[in-house]
Amino acid sequence: MEMLRITGMRKRFGDKAVLNGLDLSVPEHSIFGFIGKNGAGKTTTMKAVLGLLKTDGGEITVNGEPVEYGKTAVNRRIGYLPDVPEFYPFLTAPEYLRFCGEISGMKRTECESRSRELLQLVGLAEESHRIKGFSRGMKQRLGIAQALLNRPKLLICDEPTSALDPVGRKEILDILQSIREQTTVIFSTHILSDVERICTDVAFLNGGIAEIQGPISDIRATYRQEEYLLETEREADLCDLLTFFPTAKKSEGNQLLIPGPAIPELLRCLADRHIPILRLERAERTLESLFMEVTE
Amino acid sequence: MRSLIACLKRECTEQIRTGKLMFLGILFTLFGIMNPAIAKLTPWLMEMMSESLAQSGMVITGVTVSAMDSWVQFFKNIPMALIAFVLLEGSIFTKEYQSGTLVLSLTKGLPRYQIVLAKSVTLVLLWTAGYWLCFAITCGYNAYFWDNTVAQNLMFSAGCWWLFGFWVIGLLVLFSAFAGSNSAVLMGTGITVLTSYLLGFLPRLTEYMPTLLTDGNALIYGAADAEYYTASLLICAALTLLCFSAAIPVFRRKQL
Repeated sequence: MEMLRITGMRKRFGDKAVLNGLDLSVPEHSIFGFIGKNGAGKTTTMKAVLGLLKTDGGEITVNGEPVEYGKTAVNRRIGYLPDVPEFYPFLTAPEYLRFCGEISGMKRTECESRSRELLQLVGLAEESHRIKGFSRGMKQRLGIAQALLNRPKLLICDEPTSALDPVGRKEILDILQSIREQTTVIFSTHILSDVERICTDVAFLNGGIAEIQGPISDIRATYRQEEYLLETEREADLCDLLTFFPTAKKSEGNQLLIPGPAIPELLRCLADRHIPILRLERAERTLESLFMEVTE
Repeated sequence: MRSLIACLKRECTEQIRTGKLMFLGILFTLFGIMNPAIAKLTPWLMEMMSESLAQSGMVITGVTVSAMDSWVQFFKNIPMALIAFVLLEGSIFTKEYQSGTLVLSLTKGLPRYQIVLAKSVTLVLLWTAGYWLCFAITCGYNAYFWDNTVAQNLMFSAGCWWLFGFWVIGLLVLFSAFAGSNSAVLMGTGITVLTSYLLGFLPRLTEYMPTLLTDGNALIYGAADAEYYTASLLICAALTLLCFSAAIPVFRRKQL
């Protein structure tokens, strides 16, 4: 079942068309990586889904319900974590979560137990200071807690890790991965290693449309290269092999990328010449190389 | 309703924890004490200045003061208190636009009109509490030192000024609903009040301008009848309601 569906969404800021008929489909219980360069329209798309931004055309439905600009009823099913979440600095974390619970219509007892559970999950259970003294990482963790408070069916995270140090990033990714069973996560980023680590599905946003989208495994299978990576012990052997296989490409260090059909011939050559090798493996297409190809 | 109460509670917490409530309390208390204090000190000040005034040919004889002098000071000083109130609370919306704190509340499903309502109610309550605190302090001192009955239409004139404050708050809320910066809100509110004040100089328009309500001295001296203020009162009340109700659809369309 689809948790979020966007059909033909368009948005223009002055002369600049940011979205040109974006179609997007996010399946339930997926961790959906929404990838694009800075300024590609990721935040614009997310704000439109939240009803915070008026689009120039297209339809958005969340769990089958249409989203309308300026109306916030559908948002009760959505949790939102902005890239730099801002809170009322004069409140403490439990007070802020209580306020969130009250405005989203949660029962008092449920809100209290859920707040305790979430503050434990994000490691802020012992924090009694006001939010004004929180670090960026702590604010991001409180941001996740507030976004998950009302058990949303859809969690939208706008570049949640881009402003964090490696430790903070790992914590946030671990939390997002641990909540997959409870909710669907859309996660915009331009850090592709984060996507490879936790996402099940992905969409590449480029030129205002989703150029590629679907489960990561399917995308990898579709765009898989029939290439093999060979690493030799000595550089001289590599130069020899290049003369025998002119279609091969030199990669980093003592590595060669060899087309699939040349493999039987390569194996014979290696055996005949007693060339010691460190490894020979099928070259997996990285998201990064795919992203570069799509955006070029 | 529960979410509206939650917003009101949050606004109150902000007023208390950021020290704004204490500042307003001190401000209105000081203004309240200042009115009778200035009246009380007037004979002494005149005596101090009598020598220099005598050199320019003015002779000061016995100066007597009454509650009337204190009430005149009240109507002179309350505009300053209102300006301080507007300067302090003028960023109630714009601060949240700039920090982005409203976005998270809206993404929780909080209806936009409740944000406008909670902030408006907070401002109205703060103004009401501060204004009547100032009035009560002046009234108490006046009753202790002199006799309040010398002032005519006292409650009516005080009520007029109180309502005028509502109109200014209404303007502040309306301008906050579409302007993005604090300076734009203050400028919009200030220019509108100034326009009303300047139009009030035209004899044909005087009695229809909300700024007529600030002329409390004419009422307490009995120089003007309460009936003369009826049109201005009704127009001010209507404009206040219009400002508050127009702020809701304007804020609903605001891009945050």
